[in-house]
Amino acid sequence: AHHFIAATACQEADYSWMIRHYCLKQFQLSMEGIGQQLWCDWDETVGTYGELTNCTALIAERLDCYWPNRLVDEFFVAVHKQYFRNCSPSGRALHDPPNSILCPFILLPVLVTLLMTALVVWRSKRSEGIV
Amino acid sequence: MKKTTHSCFLLIILLIRMVPSLSSTVNYTDPTLEPVATENSVIRQKIIDSQFKCYERMNRAPPYKKKGLFCNRTWDGWLCWDDTPAGRITAQNCPDYFPDFDPTERASKYCDETGNWFRHPESNRTWSNYTLCNSFTSEKLKMAFILYYMAIVGHALSITSLLTSLAIFFYFKSLSCQRITLHKNLFFSYVLNSMFTIAHLIAVVPNPGLVKRDPVSCKVLQFFHQYMLGCNYFWMLCEGIYLHTLIVVAVFAEEQRLHWYYLLGWGFPLVPASIHAVARARYFNDNCWMSVDTHLLYIVHGPVMAALLVNFFFLLNIVRVLVTKLRDTHRAESNMYMKAVRATLILVPLLGIQFVIIPWRPENRLAGEIYDYIMHILMHYQGLLVATIFCFFNGEVQGALKRQWTQYKTQWGQRRREHCSTRSTSYTATSITEVPVYLYHHDSNNEQLNGRYVEDSELVALKSGETSA
Repeated sequence: AHHFIAATACQEADYSWMIRHYCLKQFQLSMEGIGQQLWCDWDETVGTYGELTNCTALIAERLDCYWPNRLVDEFFVAVHKQYFRNCSPSGRALHDPPNSILCPFILLPVLVTLLMTALVVWRSKRSEGIV
Repeated sequence: MKKTTHSCFLLIILLIRMVPSLSSTVNYTDPTLEPVATENSVIRQKIIDSQFKCYERMNRAPPYKKKGLFCNRTWDGWLCWDDTPAGRITAQNCPDYFPDFDPTERASKYCDETGNWFRHPESNRTWSNYTLCNSFTSEKLKMAFILYYMAIVGHALSITSLLTSLAIFFYFKSLSCQRITLHKNLFFSYVLNSMFTIAHLIAVVPNPGLVKRDPVSCKVLQFFHQYMLGCNYFWMLCEGIYLHTLIVVAVFAEEQRLHWYYLLGWGFPLVPASIHAVARARYFNDNCWMSVDTHLLYIVHGPVMAALLVNFFFLLNIVRVLVTKLRDTHRAESNMYMKAVRATLILVPLLGIQFVIIPWRPENRLAGEIYDYIMHILMHYQGLLVATIFCFFNGEVQGALKRQWTQYKTQWGQRRREHCSTRSTSYTATSITEVPVYLYHHDSNNEQLNGRYVEDSELVALKSGETSA
């Protein structure tokens, strides 16, 4: 496979140009169609984003570049800066609530447990008559 | 409990994923996007999701500040890699996109000395090492199956032994006293816990379709599962508090009122279980609440650990009192009480040790396997252990069973008819020197008094000694 790589090396400038002029244009049109208010709604934008990714991959295949690569990274970083900058970070996956909420949720039952134990000890101590 | 169930359920989830219908069709050594097929769309969705999160993270993370060459942060098609100093190998957990990728294995990426990511020599493209992700999968699958069946067998054995013990306790009225009542409740909660666990293991875990549909019923099942877990440990706590009140607070207390114990054992575990349900529904509402990757589980496990700790301190206090205050004056009685406490004192650390050694799963493969087996035995054979220690190894119970056996033999044979008359005479002789029957006897030939208090000169001396101490 060496001779293939030598003959058709990946032209970075071409690749960069093509993804900006084909894939990005398509993406821009779609996103404008969705409307700026909904850009942070993942359910709305996932299809368009997926198509953009596919597009960059297909062009990489055409130009014999491997995917993903450094240019793809730069391209997507720029796309994110432009379209998704104000979205809440990592709001897609399930994650624990912040510590300020998590800690009271955990400490409260523990404290109530200890209180309840003390209550039971105290009541059982009082309920017996002898001693 | 978190990490134990982590390793336990990860292996079981690995098992789910080995469903033959989802075969992996991707070449693992270099990620490419395959054409969209219906089965792979879920996988693609996950990958796009991760890609989005990666670029968001690359945008928001601060730029690299340390000196020297480094490789730029990048998305390699499957995982996100941060800025890495030159000459270092960085690693993270394998993704869970494909059925035979094990998320507990590590994927690695090498940043060479020139500040560029490692390129695969054959294809001359940047390459991350995902080979470990699916190399041990078949053995892990086998072990996951073994552990799964071990869990089911453990719970089935527990249910059998617990029901047998309950039958013994209910049948032999001579055994009943307050402590045995507490035992009955404890055993009952263990039976229910095992039943819920078996239901969960059989109906939910091997059923990815059900998990995907995420009906309310599987969340309700999980709620009851957490409730029963709390009940188990809080009934152990009730046993400890009862012994404590009996021995330390008021020696020879006449019948205590058990209402508060019922409240603590059956009623109170609703509180952490409900709080967990609410928090899970609000903040971490995954399918069927099966994930163990959340700290919200500590809402239930925190009180459980607190209960175990408190229980342990109560028992140590009891031992302290028995050893220091009673040792010099009443060695015989102190030994007798020690026997009563011994059973509980053995059980509490055994139940609690799984919480202690959870965080330390060994990295070594063989040691990790042994660890998994031990944790599974500790977790799933608890009911059997409790039934054995509290019932089958109990001198009173053994005595009652032996008597019943000889009774059957005399009913059906003509021998030993005189044994009954000799027993009734020894009753009056030995009952006076026996201590109250809530505690255990080592001599099984004695007749039991039904919870009645036996006044005794030594016991009176003990009480006065206690009050003046």
